[in-house]
Amino acid sequence: MAEVLKSPAPARSAGGRSLPSRLWVLPPVVALGVFFLHPLALVVQQSFTPDEGGTSVEPYTELFASEVFHEALTTTVWIALAATAGCLLLGFLLALVIAFVPLPGGKAVSTFIDVFLSFPSFLITLALLFLYGNTGVANGLWTSATGAATGPFDFLTTPWGVVLAEITYFTPFVMRPLLAAFSQLDTAQLDVASSLGAGPLRIVRRIILPEALPALAAGGSLVLVMCLNEFGIVLFTGAKGVTTLPMLVYSKAILESDYPSACAVAVVNICLSVGLYGLYRVVSRRAGA
Amino acid sequence: MLVHSRAARWAVRILFLLLFLPLFVLPLLVIVAASLSSSWSGVLPSGPTGAHYTAAVRGDALTALTTSLITAVTASLLALAAGTWAALAASGAGRRTRRLLDALFMLPVAVPSVVVGLAVLVAFSKPPLLLNGTPSIVIVAHTVLVTAFAYQSVAAALARLDPAYEQAAAGLGARPAYVLWRVRLPLLLPSLTAAAGLCFALSMGELSATMMLYPPDWLPLPVRIFSATDRGSLFTGSAVAVVLMGTTLLVLLAVSRLRTRATFR
Amino acid sequence: MTAAMSETAPATAGTRPAGIHLDRVSVAYGKHTVLDGLDLTVAPGELMALLGPSGSGKTTALRAVAGFVRPVSGRVYLGGRDVTALPPHRRGIGMVVQSYALFPHMRVAENVAFGLRARKTPRRDIAERVAEALEMTGMAAYARRYPRELSGGQQQRVAIARALAIRPSVLLLDEPLSALDARLRSGMLAELARLHRELADVSILYVTHDQIEALTLADRIAVMDNARLQDCGTPQELYRRPRTEFTASFVGNANLLPVTLAETGPDGTVGADLGGTRLRAHGAGAPAARGAAATLCVRPHLVGLGPGPNALRGTVAEVQWRGATHRLLVDVAGTRLTADVRELRTPPALGAQVELHFAAEDAVLLPVTSAPEAVPGGGGRG
Repeated sequence: MAEVLKSPAPARSAGGRSLPSRLWVLPPVVALGVFFLHPLALVVQQSFTPDEGGTSVEPYTELFASEVFHEALTTTVWIALAATAGCLLLGFLLALVIAFVPLPGGKAVSTFIDVFLSFPSFLITLALLFLYGNTGVANGLWTSATGAATGPFDFLTTPWGVVLAEITYFTPFVMRPLLAAFSQLDTAQLDVASSLGAGPLRIVRRIILPEALPALAAGGSLVLVMCLNEFGIVLFTGAKGVTTLPMLVYSKAILESDYPSACAVAVVNICLSVGLYGLYRVVSRRAGA
Repeated sequence: MLVHSRAARWAVRILFLLLFLPLFVLPLLVIVAASLSSSWSGVLPSGPTGAHYTAAVRGDALTALTTSLITAVTASLLALAAGTWAALAASGAGRRTRRLLDALFMLPVAVPSVVVGLAVLVAFSKPPLLLNGTPSIVIVAHTVLVTAFAYQSVAAALARLDPAYEQAAAGLGARPAYVLWRVRLPLLLPSLTAAAGLCFALSMGELSATMMLYPPDWLPLPVRIFSATDRGSLFTGSAVAVVLMGTTLLVLLAVSRLRTRATFR
Repeated sequence: MTAAMSETAPATAGTRPAGIHLDRVSVAYGKHTVLDGLDLTVAPGELMALLGPSGSGKTTALRAVAGFVRPVSGRVYLGGRDVTALPPHRRGIGMVVQSYALFPHMRVAENVAFGLRARKTPRRDIAERVAEALEMTGMAAYARRYPRELSGGQQQRVAIARALAIRPSVLLLDEPLSALDARLRSGMLAELARLHRELADVSILYVTHDQIEALTLADRIAVMDNARLQDCGTPQELYRRPRTEFTASFVGNANLLPVTLAETGPDGTVGADLGGTRLRAHGAGAPAARGAAATLCVRPHLVGLGPGPNALRGTVAEVQWRGATHRLLVDVAGTRLTADVRELRTPPALGAQVELHFAAEDAVLLPVTSAPEAVPGGGGRG
């Protein structure tokens, strides 16, 4: 009976939804409309309004024709895909160890992850500058070991630097849903499987991975969206060679004051991210996360 | 348990630490170390100094700290109020209204922060609401960005809340407003404080939208860190970053203390 | 009140409050009907148990009375007043749920005072009535505690005190004992029986799936199954003279034997053929037609070992020793009969031929339902 009562389509509670209670929805929606939805609509409107006035698709035709935009689009997408793949792999491995191999201080690790997530992303790039910068630790190690004048690590201002920083920063976002999924897994299943003669790899492949797939899909699509939208990490690398869509929005609007183009790039970016985010919501609802 | 032999278990643990420490712990340590050094050209930093901190808690940097604190506290309180209100309204509404509200209030998470900054800049640079050039525009952008997280946490907490409590209260003759004030909000208190902490941390570290619209007299810590590193003063930037991390941690700690007390009661 | 309403309201509406009255109440979740045309009246001072398996609609019926579900058709009356459209907080009921739902952030006294504060009772009266309710449930010493500092049984008492503090004329108890362990449960059962005696004017609706609770506490039992009311009567009536196979097997244990009806004897007993054996059963309520199929119901503890009236020969299929009794499962004419007899010095061996008997007075004839309950001993209860 309890199951029936908690079914997704409960009978209406008597007197629960009178007209005034419906009005309660309005104030926050109006606030959201004024401070978010309307501004967003203005961005779309502005993207169709070139500086010369009037309404035209000129900003878009200009944009789609420009080399910079094409490069930004491909860079954004491949950086995001590479970083997401890295996050999934690393996150799965780390979560696996935390969940299934007893670790001294396992609780400290999860507390650390929470703390880590409360810091801004650009701190990672800042740290990487010290670690892999021209005069950083890694190159310092190399030069003092080999006596060479410069070290081999010079990827920080390339897209790979961004990928490394994003993997570092976003991996915890994959780990959290995974750890939640793993905690639901009945460990007796693993014991039974290994008593039946399955080795660790087989258990991971046949029992844990299928169980983790929804969480991986949900975490992965969330990280993909966040990577597409990431700005701080790219800004801090200070590399002129790495231009992503958010970076392009920033430089068009703030550095060039070309608002119609900035808005057009923004619209493209919104379509990309919101589309993916919709996918994430569907996936995570399926995953029950 | 996945790995049974002692040796294999230790091998896995060591491998884990070899991945975990350099990737996640080292970056934070490096920033702290850099903030205490005057130069770093080699394996280890050199020239220990506290000068960056004396600079970081004085003058411009101190202004940046108070700017960030004011922005973050205001934005998270506003976001908490709006998010809680929306989540409560959604929980009382029908299924379709709820899904619509969910989609609307989670939208700021999907839209790139830079674009949120751009949108707020475009919308409030002209009458009737001319906010450009004032601190309010930064606060507005931060509030929009973190409201989604407040909404999400409170909505999740509401979904977890056992309906038996409010039904028991209603059965005892309590009007909906009384149930809200005396039963639901007190039971939500732990989640509300957690949401406030999350919003605060996000707002403290917000850079993307802020870069689009900060007025020259309202520079939060992340902007200050960026301008320092952009000038090449990595060490000063690190010191300000440590101040940012420390402040965030302190506030989160205070919030979690508050939360344990709320759950204990 | 309209003329139509006073017709459907119970007749006692004149002087005394009329307790609970459900008039053909149906509840559906989407296309799924979970309560189908329930008619039920609980008089003031009466304890009515709603007994049924999970999913039978009993909790839905209680929630319809409380106002947490709105019927798709039918009316709900409390004290003669139509409350169908009223929200829960305006119905003035006391309710205790399975999980107790004590407010964890309030002390015991604050929990008990909640209903009184909500209806703005004067301060002085609140203290008095909280003390009274806690006294009644034996929880006066725990007023300053928080719920999490109490045991399950104590939380249960506080939940009852909280419901009683508002002096309701209707008390709804939803599986109140199911979260307690067996020993606490029998103690609380006695406690509830005492409260019921003390609350002379309160109509109590008690939802349970446990027949012992229902038989012990209730003035009347309403048996529910498949969203419908199956049977309603005093515990003795339902136990001695069940009207359906479902009631027979759900309230106590029952042997249900497929028989063919024969003639009515001069003593008023009805003949029934089981295989080739002629049995005689109590006549009341038996399906009329001669030659028709029927179910003969006899309780296992009323079946005796040895020769006697209604003698049946069979093969012992299983012997279970249960301390004070022996349970014999005996194959008789293609059906398996359960007999609970006093502990035997020398129980029969498996496969032995034994004779069983029972008094015609103890056997009831029931109409055959489409899916006969072929569970020996009524689903292992008791």
